[in-house]
Amino acid sequence: MKTAASGKPHRTAVSLEGHWASESDGQGHVVFNAEGIRCANCARSIRNGLGALPGVTGTEVNVVNGRVSVSWNSHLTSLGAILAIVADLGFKPVPLVGAAAAAARREERRASLKRIGLAGLGSVQIMMYAAGLYTGAFHGIDPALAGFLKWTCLLIATPVLLYSGAPILRGGLHDIRRRTLGMDVTVSLALVLAFVASVFNTARGQGEVYFDSVTMFIFFLLVGRHVEMKGRHQAASVTDALARALPATATRLRAATDDAERVPLEQLRPGDRLRVATGEIIPVDGTVLAGIALVDESLVTGESAARQRAPGEALLGGSINTGSAITLQVTSAPNASALHSLVRLLERAQGERPRIGLAAERMASWFVLRILVLTALVAIAWAFVDPSRAFPAVLAVLVATCPCALSLATPVAIAAATSRLARLGVLVTRSDAVEGLAQVDTVILDKTGTLTTGHPRVLETQTREGLSSGMALSIAAALEESSRHPVAQAFRAHGAREIRCGDAREFPGDGIEGHVDGRLWRLGKPAFALQDGRAHPFTEDAGILLADASGGAAAFVVSDELRPDAGETVAGLRALGLELRLASGDREGPVAHVARRLGIARPAARLRPEDKLTLLRELQAGGHRVLMIGDGMNDGPVLAAAQVSMAMGHGSSIAHAAADLLLLRDSLASLPESVAVARRTLVIIRQNLRWSVAYNLAAVPLAALGLMPPWIAAIGMSLSSLLVVMNARRVLSADVLGRKPPQGPRRTPDPHHTLATEAPQ
Amino acid sequence: MSSIYLLIPLSVILIGVAVWAFFWAVDTGQFEDLDAQARSILEDEDASRSGD
Repeated sequence: MKTAASGKPHRTAVSLEGHWASESDGQGHVVFNAEGIRCANCARSIRNGLGALPGVTGTEVNVVNGRVSVSWNSHLTSLGAILAIVADLGFKPVPLVGAAAAAARREERRASLKRIGLAGLGSVQIMMYAAGLYTGAFHGIDPALAGFLKWTCLLIATPVLLYSGAPILRGGLHDIRRRTLGMDVTVSLALVLAFVASVFNTARGQGEVYFDSVTMFIFFLLVGRHVEMKGRHQAASVTDALARALPATATRLRAATDDAERVPLEQLRPGDRLRVATGEIIPVDGTVLAGIALVDESLVTGESAARQRAPGEALLGGSINTGSAITLQVTSAPNASALHSLVRLLERAQGERPRIGLAAERMASWFVLRILVLTALVAIAWAFVDPSRAFPAVLAVLVATCPCALSLATPVAIAAATSRLARLGVLVTRSDAVEGLAQVDTVILDKTGTLTTGHPRVLETQTREGLSSGMALSIAAALEESSRHPVAQAFRAHGAREIRCGDAREFPGDGIEGHVDGRLWRLGKPAFALQDGRAHPFTEDAGILLADASGGAAAFVVSDELRPDAGETVAGLRALGLELRLASGDREGPVAHVARRLGIARPAARLRPEDKLTLLRELQAGGHRVLMIGDGMNDGPVLAAAQVSMAMGHGSSIAHAAADLLLLRDSLASLPESVAVARRTLVIIRQNLRWSVAYNLAAVPLAALGLMPPWIAAIGMSLSSLLVVMNARRVLSADVLGRKPPQGPRRTPDPHHTLATEAPQ
Repeated sequence: MSSIYLLIPLSVILIGVAVWAFFWAVDTGQFEDLDAQARSILEDEDASRSGD
């Protein structure tokens, strides 16, 4: 309770500005939760509202987790103006990370429970009085008693409508004011009409009352929304689990006196010294000053074994100090740590809208217009046939056609899939990635760092006369010093303190050049190192060549080991009917060796980033849907161009930025299951869409003909929404791979049937 | 038969009490975590963790 009590003072937008937005080069970006987002039309009204504000360059709204992501030009507008507009539209913007977001979610959950409680108790009680009225209609009832019962119903139904039904009515009013047609419009119309008619009939002492329908409808609707809200909160909790991994305060040592003081995380600056006791979380990135840390970095890197960190070595914020107490020096601002960039990447992705969700959204708006026309027609027709039955029929049509299930169909399934994939260690950074992954038929794998461990060693060194192999290795190490290419690690061990290179430039896929001791050296592929086409004195398959202006100086043979789970992963992907290709920038020898061991045909070696892109484009031109898996800088372009791409969690930041999915664990093992989960998700989305359209099509004629009383329509609509939500939850637990891989889901998605093609964008 | 004119207002009052009790329960966090209590009997150590 302690954390919640002080939840209020943080509600103003201005005081939070520094905490939840990032601004650079005149470009601002923010992700926040907007409380009250319930349907596709809420999302649209936010998009339209912000789109009208000069300076806003992009807005994305996710209906599933209630997240809004906005970018703007900070010369033209400010975060304050953006939040004011969102608030004016009737949504409450709340920060995403930390205690305030958790408190906001809890508030929403509690309010929802209270509404359900009141509606549930109220509708049961009204049903009891209504039973009396129904019996009375058959056996005769004292008109005074009937009137008394109706007034009692009215007394209970009023708070149910006004308190429990408030979010629905507000949503409907909102849509009307914004001149959009959301599902809340039809629902509110039905509720208000039924209630007003009942009040009128109660007052004049004759005619039907519908208090029982009204309250029951509200109850079912709220229960459906509650389930949906819980899914939304669950989807949000993956990110917040990361953010919550950091403590709110840290123990800082005063510069002069070494006195310990507790300060909020936001006040930490690079250079501060912190004390971290045994079992505490390391709050920011830093280096060890004193003591030997034994850190558990499992949350940050997925690495499960504890690592020892001696003074001078780097510590990652978010890891846990399981060793003795240490002193550390802060190296990054609290909101620039490695963990924070991971969180921001993830939030950005979650704020995006799934593409197939858009199709359903458009469908819903089209639907509502037709429903209103249909309702008018039904009312007119019944007015001629039997005016007394016109009202119940109109009510039933309005209720039966509520496109709730339709607009829930896709988002809930995608949310469930995202959370299942997160459990597998796969982070979905772009929300249409799940759909893409389901439709993939070809996988291109990078070799180094992806299929292999990425820990290469220099196995052999040849040098020209006059250069010692130790010296050659030191020069190579100096050139590779700042490179994140896996090969660089092989040289790192051979570095010498006095040999340095200050101006190393990396050419992805080719090599590195830079000055050491005033001489220009090139390290990389022979064709790159010897740019003027000179021959080198080494054996043909030299691999990595070190050269200066006078020609080849040294040749290194560098190789790394296959991952232990590579064989199993490749077999699993094959069992799913996927075609595998190997594309590597490495030499033919090691590439052919890996391909042979994994049984991959036609491996492609010595590919530059452009060549990988060409290979990908060729496959795509042949109608293939390609999943690219890579880790290095050289995979960046091809990752960005593939239908779906996955980057290894330890890979370069370029690969991360380009990829749709991140493998958080340093392992490929979860790959086949991820593909199977995505396929199952797509199947479930299609079931959901088919079901909700079928339900609406079947219910409308019955309702229009007066064969379906409003309360049955209310139950049917609520059940169809619940069914869609429950169906989506199957993604979370389904045994997607089957017990025997050959009998696993082998169905290749039919390209003519994909929903993506219905959403041109 | 006239007792119904007493019993129905009574039922309305009762439902008011029930709603008040439910709201109180929600506000004091009785529904926040429905799993922890069930799991807590399986834990060996004294569960003195501070809830949030």
